[in-house]
Amino acid sequence: MDRTPVYIVCSPRPRVGKTLVSRLLAEYLLLENRDATAFDINLNEPSLLDFLPKLTETASIDDTFGQMQLMDRLIANDGAPKVIDLGYHAFDGFFKMAVEIGFAKEAERRGVQLAILFIADRDRTSQRAWTMLEENFRNAAIVPVNNEQVLLGEIPPWIGRAELLDIAILPGFLKTYIERQNFSFTQFLRTSTDKSSELYQWIVNCFVRFRELGVKLAQHRI
Amino acid sequence: MAKPAVIVVGADKGGVGKTTVSRTVLDYFSANNIPTRAFDTESPRGTLKRFHPSVTEIVDVTSTSDQMKIFDTLNSAKTSVTVIDVRAGLLSPTLASLRDIGFLDAARSGQITFAVFHILGPSIASLDEIAETANFMTGAKYFLVKNFINNTSFFEWDQATYNSYFHKIKDATEITIPKLNEMAYEQVEVASVPFLKFVANKGQRDEAANYSFVLRGYVRHWLGNVWGEFDRIKLTDIVGKDKGGAPTKAE
Repeated sequence: MDRTPVYIVCSPRPRVGKTLVSRLLAEYLLLENRDATAFDINLNEPSLLDFLPKLTETASIDDTFGQMQLMDRLIANDGAPKVIDLGYHAFDGFFKMAVEIGFAKEAERRGVQLAILFIADRDRTSQRAWTMLEENFRNAAIVPVNNEQVLLGEIPPWIGRAELLDIAILPGFLKTYIERQNFSFTQFLRTSTDKSSELYQWIVNCFVRFRELGVKLAQHRI
Repeated sequence: MAKPAVIVVGADKGGVGKTTVSRTVLDYFSANNIPTRAFDTESPRGTLKRFHPSVTEIVDVTSTSDQMKIFDTLNSAKTSVTVIDVRAGLLSPTLASLRDIGFLDAARSGQITFAVFHILGPSIASLDEIAETANFMTGAKYFLVKNFINNTSFFEWDQATYNSYFHKIKDATEITIPKLNEMAYEQVEVASVPFLKFVANKGQRDEAANYSFVLRGYVRHWLGNVWGEFDRIKLTDIVGKDKGGAPTKAE
């Protein structure tokens, strides 16, 4: 049986593009005709729920009941990919809880493919978070995301030899355009008449990266 | 045949988690493949028996016939390890009975291994219990258990006072039982299964159960920490079963 992917899009830093990556990924998975579900664990940031309300459920890890509602679904090998937009406020709490309950190990045992998409930044908090993930989630695929808008070409050395998932910079006016809450990447691809436009190419490039990531995960190459 | 070992778990105060600790001890021996029998002195109800019915018998430890049932069978029982969960208020009387029947002398002379897990509560009364219990402890392994499972804060204690009690007893060892997530604890209570079965997602008769993964994870993590304490005091060595220093895993 195929493994069920669970993508955790995260960073301990605010405003590094977590929700953008989550949106792109969730829409890509839908485009693949997969029965994807997204979970929004955000407190103060722009929220995935605002962009993809039909697809997204809110989740809380502040109490045990909320943890059960979220994690008992994430651990299910039901064939439906899941995307978690993990707000920076919840970063420490989520991964502390995940370590304590043995989430990564149980995920592997049940055939759930855990992929942690870590949006890299150059500060010390990000470095500490990366080290924590590497130490505690050896069973998971930890993928550093190079959001060029954040790193501006300076890849932190502590990333080591991990292969980056690149998200290219968009010009300011296009960034404003995609930040409209009713904007849909897949809808744009379907309706666009100019396939050479910068936004069209940018979306296609992102989706190609996700496809490559999916293939590598399926082939256990990460 | 291995020397019989008796572990008494008790306190004079109620509600400090004696049965919970007894349950972790039984799970620990089970995980280490050490056959164990248990006696629950909470007659006639028996909380320990509810969780470990196949190895537990309810007894009235104050009655001579039940004392015979426990102590006259130490050498003939199929299991060499006996755990006695002593109900609230009966620790000191039980130890006095053991002295009177010559059991403590047998322990002192090395014929029997005897260990006491004294569960401490937060009140100052627990410190007085230590002094009282200490009189019986020659020849026994004495463990003072600070049980934080119910989020107990030992606020009434002055550390210096505690230390003065603690140091009165030669070779007393402290054990800390950490806090367990409340909802996880409640769910194990409702399921009425050993912690180990809860972790393994099994019901009372080993049938597949459907406990929350999160709660099982919390219990596994907690049980691992408790067993880390038992490994630290080399509990398997104490009962005469060397497990080679490998950590006991709650898997």
